[in-house]
Amino acid sequence: MTALPKRLLLTWRKVRALFVNAFAVMTEYQAEILIWIISGSLPLIMMFIWMGLAEDGPVGTYNAADFAAYFLMVFFVRQITMVWVIWDLDREIRLGELSPKLLRPLDPYWQHVMNNLAEKVVRTPIVIITVLAGFWLAQVPVSLNTSVLLAFFLSLTGAWLIRFNRQYSMGLLTFWSDQTTALENVWFTLYIILGGGLAPLDLFPPALQRIVSFTPFPYAIDFPVQVFLGNIQGADLYRGLLAQATWVLIFIGIRTLLWRQGLKRYGAVGA
Amino acid sequence: MIHVKQLSKTYRVHEKEAGFIGSLRAFFNRQYKDVHAVHDISFDIDAGEMVGFLGSNGAGKTTTLKMLSGLLHPSSGEVSVAGFTPKRRQNEFLKTITLVMGQKQQLVWDLAAVDSFLVNQAIYEIPDDVYKRRLAELTEMLDLDGILNKQVRKLSLGERMKCELAASLLHQPGVLFLDEPTIGLDVNMQETVRAFVADYNQRYNATIMLTSHYMADVTALAKRILVIDQGNLVFDGDLQKLIEAHAPKKILKLEFASLQSAGVLARYGEVRAQQALQAELFVPRKDVTRVAARLLADLPVQDISIEDIPIEEIIGQLFTQAGTPAV
Repeated sequence: MTALPKRLLLTWRKVRALFVNAFAVMTEYQAEILIWIISGSLPLIMMFIWMGLAEDGPVGTYNAADFAAYFLMVFFVRQITMVWVIWDLDREIRLGELSPKLLRPLDPYWQHVMNNLAEKVVRTPIVIITVLAGFWLAQVPVSLNTSVLLAFFLSLTGAWLIRFNRQYSMGLLTFWSDQTTALENVWFTLYIILGGGLAPLDLFPPALQRIVSFTPFPYAIDFPVQVFLGNIQGADLYRGLLAQATWVLIFIGIRTLLWRQGLKRYGAVGA
Repeated sequence: MIHVKQLSKTYRVHEKEAGFIGSLRAFFNRQYKDVHAVHDISFDIDAGEMVGFLGSNGAGKTTTLKMLSGLLHPSSGEVSVAGFTPKRRQNEFLKTITLVMGQKQQLVWDLAAVDSFLVNQAIYEIPDDVYKRRLAELTEMLDLDGILNKQVRKLSLGERMKCELAASLLHQPGVLFLDEPTIGLDVNMQETVRAFVADYNQRYNATIMLTSHYMADVTALAKRILVIDQGNLVFDGDLQKLIEAHAPKKILKLEFASLQSAGVLARYGEVRAQQALQAELFVPRKDVTRVAARLLADLPVQDISIEDIPIEEIIGQLFTQAGTPAV
């Protein structure tokens, strides 16, 4: 057994090397990142639709400015928690590109995590500027304090971990089937609707709201957005964060199980 | 060092007829078939030994190497490499071996090879001074000067292969599985790779298993060979004996300025194939130069080349003689 400080140092070197490499690759694809951001502009379209509907008076508790703030933040949360690992896994498993990665003494999971984080470094500034401009143009007042920002950061991290591990798990189904990306499209539709991407969840019928609260979807969009807008605080905030943590653990568990079982099947599909 | 006993791998694949109707039928009613990629093979390889692994496409070479390196789980049988069970993929095992696949790459396409090296350095936990020393050694052995800092996608196939080899060997594994390391390379580059593999084997007393389509790779490197055909191990033994027994002849490929009759050609050797102005003759190994000289003197030869009998044919012959029906 190596001493703990040495282990930490070695781990840190791996993290750093993978990140530096992933970042170098990302900088080769600046144009693509811009195009991806533009292709994620559905929340901004929804924003204009709902602002139009709220012109003659509030819808539920939302007036036009509330809708603007809500959907700008939906845009922000979806952009910052963006994942695409299923497309990479689908390709790697079907075409055998996974093989060289399996030869190295490191779970390929970490490389995918680092790829995602490296891309965030490029994406985040663009998204922040876009959203700030949106708030300014829509003349929406925002009041922020450190505790809300901290809570928002935690809930945003939770949302990303849910999305990443959920999608990674689904990507691993490629060991059994070559149709996983079709399944992903179904999931994505549910995520957009039940996560609050088309309409705020508190405008849903209460019965539906209750059902949805038992799924991971609201914790991936609606929850961090509401935290940022200051609508969730105190005990509700802790409950929400706990629910996020639970979903993260569930998906990490599923991922671990699928990875172990999938490797036994590897090679039977494609390479 | 490597111990394989009654190893088998069976794939379940679904079959599909060609065309639209075939696709439609496969969509509603999938037909599955079991393919025995590797069937009940056993062998042992000692530390420091270099073994050639021959067989035609789809014979089961790659499947075997993938099981030995832990990528594939065997359907049945025992495998042990350097004391480890490969399919468990323990880190210590992965640090002991490498698998180089001529047709798969680990280097990141958009970056320089050295960027990928640095990642491997971290992942394999190689200290800086050791890394520098090994990189210098590999640079010298493979003549990597000036190509390590170029973007990988701008490298030639041969340069890329050399970088792949270096990347796979930075952690200085004691067991190497090389799957078609020279595929697609020109003759000079094949020679470089061969010399390197021999050198690596000598320097580090590494155990090496090598598959290749090219007879020359195997003859240059391995004393002992394993021949696999349709998943069965059909030969395990001395290479020279196999060649003498099964490839006593070479092929003379000729192109003439005018049409030659088969009768005339038969005087120089057994006619293997003849089409318009081109012909191929089987000539005993020891007579090749003499016959070639005579042909050049007697007939209007425009082009001539001497080749080994393709490995597939030797294996085919081996099969017929072993009493198993050749396909």
